[in-house]
Amino acid sequence: MIGIIMFGVCLLMLLWGFPVAFTFGGVALVFGLISQGPELFAFMPFRIMSVMQNTVMMAIPLFIFMGVVLQRTKLAEQLLTSMGRLFGGLPGGLAISTILVGALLAASTGVVGASVVAMGLISLPVMLAHNYDKRLSCGTICASGTLGQIVPPSIILIILGDVLGLPVGDLFKAAVIPGLVLVGLYIVYILVLTRFKPQTAPAMPDDSGLSRKQEIVSALFAIIPPLALIVIVLGSIFTGIATPTESSALGGVGALVLAIAYRQFSFKMIWEAAHDTVKVTAMVFAILIGATAFSMVFSYSGGDYLLEEWIMQLPGEKWGFLILAMVVILVLGFFIDFVEISFIVVPILAPIAESLGINMLWFAILIAMNLQTSFLTPPFGFSLFYLKGVSPPSVTTMDIYKGVLPFIVLQALVLLAIFIFPEWFGMSASSGYSGY
Amino acid sequence: MRWIVKLDNGLARISRACGWVACVAMILMLFNVFYDVITRYIFNDVSIGMQELEWHLYSMVFLLGIPYALQTDGHVRVDVFYASRSNAFKAWVNLIGAAAFVIPFAILIGTYGYSFAVESYNLNESSGDPGGLPYRWIIKAVIPLSALFIATSGLGMVTYALRVLKGEQSYDVEHSGGGLA
Amino acid sequence: EETFTLRLAETWGPNFPIFGDTTKSMARMAEEMSNGRLQIRIDSSNRHKAPFGIFDMVKAGQYDMGHSASYYWKGKVPNTLFFTSMPFGMTAQEQYAWFYYGDGMDLMQEVYEPHNMLSFPGGNTGIQMGGWFNKEINSLDDLQGLKMRIPGFAGEVFAEVGVNPTNIAPGELYTALERGTIDAVEWVGPALDLRLGFQQIADYYYTGWHEPATELQFLINKDSWEKLPADLQQILQIAMRTASYDMLIMSMHENANAWASIQSDFPDLQVRTFPDDVIQAMYDANSKLLQEAAERDDLARRIVDSQAEYLSNARAYTNISDRAYLNTMAELE
Ligand code: NA
Ligand code: NA
Repeated sequence: MIGIIMFGVCLLMLLWGFPVAFTFGGVALVFGLISQGPELFAFMPFRIMSVMQNTVMMAIPLFIFMGVVLQRTKLAEQLLTSMGRLFGGLPGGLAISTILVGALLAASTGVVGASVVAMGLISLPVMLAHNYDKRLSCGTICASGTLGQIVPPSIILIILGDVLGLPVGDLFKAAVIPGLVLVGLYIVYILVLTRFKPQTAPAMPDDSGLSRKQEIVSALFAIIPPLALIVIVLGSIFTGIATPTESSALGGVGALVLAIAYRQFSFKMIWEAAHDTVKVTAMVFAILIGATAFSMVFSYSGGDYLLEEWIMQLPGEKWGFLILAMVVILVLGFFIDFVEISFIVVPILAPIAESLGINMLWFAILIAMNLQTSFLTPPFGFSLFYLKGVSPPSVTTMDIYKGVLPFIVLQALVLLAIFIFPEWFGMSASSGYSGY
Repeated sequence: MRWIVKLDNGLARISRACGWVACVAMILMLFNVFYDVITRYIFNDVSIGMQELEWHLYSMVFLLGIPYALQTDGHVRVDVFYASRSNAFKAWVNLIGAAAFVIPFAILIGTYGYSFAVESYNLNESSGDPGGLPYRWIIKAVIPLSALFIATSGLGMVTYALRVLKGEQSYDVEHSGGGLA
Repeated sequence: EETFTLRLAETWGPNFPIFGDTTKSMARMAEEMSNGRLQIRIDSSNRHKAPFGIFDMVKAGQYDMGHSASYYWKGKVPNTLFFTSMPFGMTAQEQYAWFYYGDGMDLMQEVYEPHNMLSFPGGNTGIQMGGWFNKEINSLDDLQGLKMRIPGFAGEVFAEVGVNPTNIAPGELYTALERGTIDAVEWVGPALDLRLGFQQIADYYYTGWHEPATELQFLINKDSWEKLPADLQQILQIAMRTASYDMLIMSMHENANAWASIQSDFPDLQVRTFPDDVIQAMYDANSKLLQEAAERDDLARRIVDSQAEYLSNARAYTNISDRAYLNTMAELE
């Protein structure tokens, strides 16, 4: 019971405007002291230590650093505006470029904090400068930054592989098509939206004095260096030079090399970039630590057992079970972190799904799609906080909340499509699958 | 009042010092990871000690960055109400939040984090992996240190809020993220 | 009658097979045998978030019990290393005999005593496989500069013969092996390796030498133990011992099935054993490292000596019994 009250109180406290991380931590503190006493917090150093030794999360500061350097050297702006120019008089070019760059970053990291913040740094200022609608900009960035969670490599898929006992490789392969479909759908959405509301995403102004052909050539030329950087990051993973986490350091150093090549480099620039990186990284990790305190109190006060009992009451018939399971995960995703859901809810659902003859790989992809949506759902969607953390004051929390709504609808559509037509995505609903 | 100004400035200096160390750790970490990738790929050489140094530095980046970000108002807020309110309202939110949430939370973590690090020191804990780093207590000690600095930054939030309430400072210039993007 | 509840923290996640089944079966047996007077509440790593903090948490009394592996505490208390499995050491049968009829249990208590804990065998994986390789090892030269994920003491032995032990986050192991960031991965055995999917990407599966009988451990905080009445202590011990034996046979069952499925789905996978000169070099490296450990600490020397002595005695009999039988059977094939 305490767990449920905690969520309510936390929501109220957040509205006051005290920093999110310390509101999580503070509410956890109060409820932890009431329900368990101070000794409960003796677990906190262990939990913080687990974050410290979770080397996959190193990608967060490293990607942020790359993003900051690209932003400070104006290379990000150059990449996006040039890509936007390729669309000529067509509106929405910048948004589509953002989605494409987001998809590339997604393929090189599975850590949402890393890609959302990097995308926020790289493309929000550019979109705003070109008079893009604030909400559309925020929604596009949050959605394309969160793609990292479904496009392999992905942390959700790794955790689900562990919890469901499925080989990570199979999950990665199965997630490729749904990820690409999502990217495609985002682009289609932008094209459709700008057809009816071109003012939300104005076309790039003509580069005066250049013919269309010259414009395309100069745009292509300008894209190459920053795009090459992203290709190097991806390439280093595919050729085995680096693990996905390490590749983000290649990205950071590569950004510095580009800065030198473009005569933008100075030690002052590195130092300031490090400052920005530290601040944003601290913002992200403070939320993670606040959230781990919150989930600690939630669990140890019996919230997870309550949740378990509740889920056990789901119907025992295939489609009814599946639909309700997806709804439960979606609703919990509004409030609880995906890691908690993977570890508390999924283990209870898994044996039921298995006994109903459901293809576990398909089931896992459904859950993964569903969980990545949880990053975007107000009020607790982490992607929203991360983007807010790097936004200028003119962008409000409400802008972000409203901006992601259409993208949440799109994700729900893809989820529904995978649900009803698994064969479109190269899967089948029933287990006849020869894997393990 | 003068002593509050003095205290506030002193506390801000502590937090900025944390930020300075975190920035150095950030740059070192970038080149640490880069070095490890290059030596492994080109020279086929791996040092687990160097690999462990990566997460030691990475931990310092966020553990010492958190108090720094507190001082510079870098932690994200839900601004549905907050943004449009008066300085006095903001001062009260920050004052109460810091006193009720930040400082007690930091004190508890600091207390238990201290025992956590002392236990490691007493055992002379080291890495269990071949070529790993010794003196695990050093990085574990950064947890209570971070908590201590979070508490001082929290105190800094209180002193700053008091200055705002006196009308001597304002929150105008500061905003979460500082408009980084 | 008074009910006693012990909280147990395990290193594993909530439905980690075999290892997690062991704690569950132990808790169930303890409860049933005590007619409900002894309850054991299991917290998996998703709850406590400290898979490698079990030692500290049980020592400090944050948990009454733990389920983990003794060699994880090597960096904290070096002598805990010897109670899981040692390269070129005893088989599961031999090692259980050493624990329960030799000096094993006494020596283990001596190591854990200063930390206010008791330690009991907690289930055996049987012999672990030598790992998944993307490179065939035909000589010592092939090991030079080989990048391998191999932690702990076995990693030190490998390092002595020229291997580069490498740290890779578990979540990135599959990609790292697939892309050739590393050349080899050591994990457990077919049943657990299968879940990570290495069979899909590796060319060779090597037979084991480094963990011939990996024993997990139950840890109990001494104060929690002493609060239990004598009959419940007895019941708990029986439950732990039975669950441990059950894990050994369950490992056999699950590994056999998993291996059958790997063989049928991946007929091209090659099983290899390290060549004699490689094994000899690793044996020498192992002896040298053990010698060094024994020179550093008196208790370490007593443990190393006890294991060596027990091994040579037990092995002489294994040779004319199990080995002879398996050799006889081999002739038939
Ligand atoms: Na990804
Ligand atoms: Na192993």
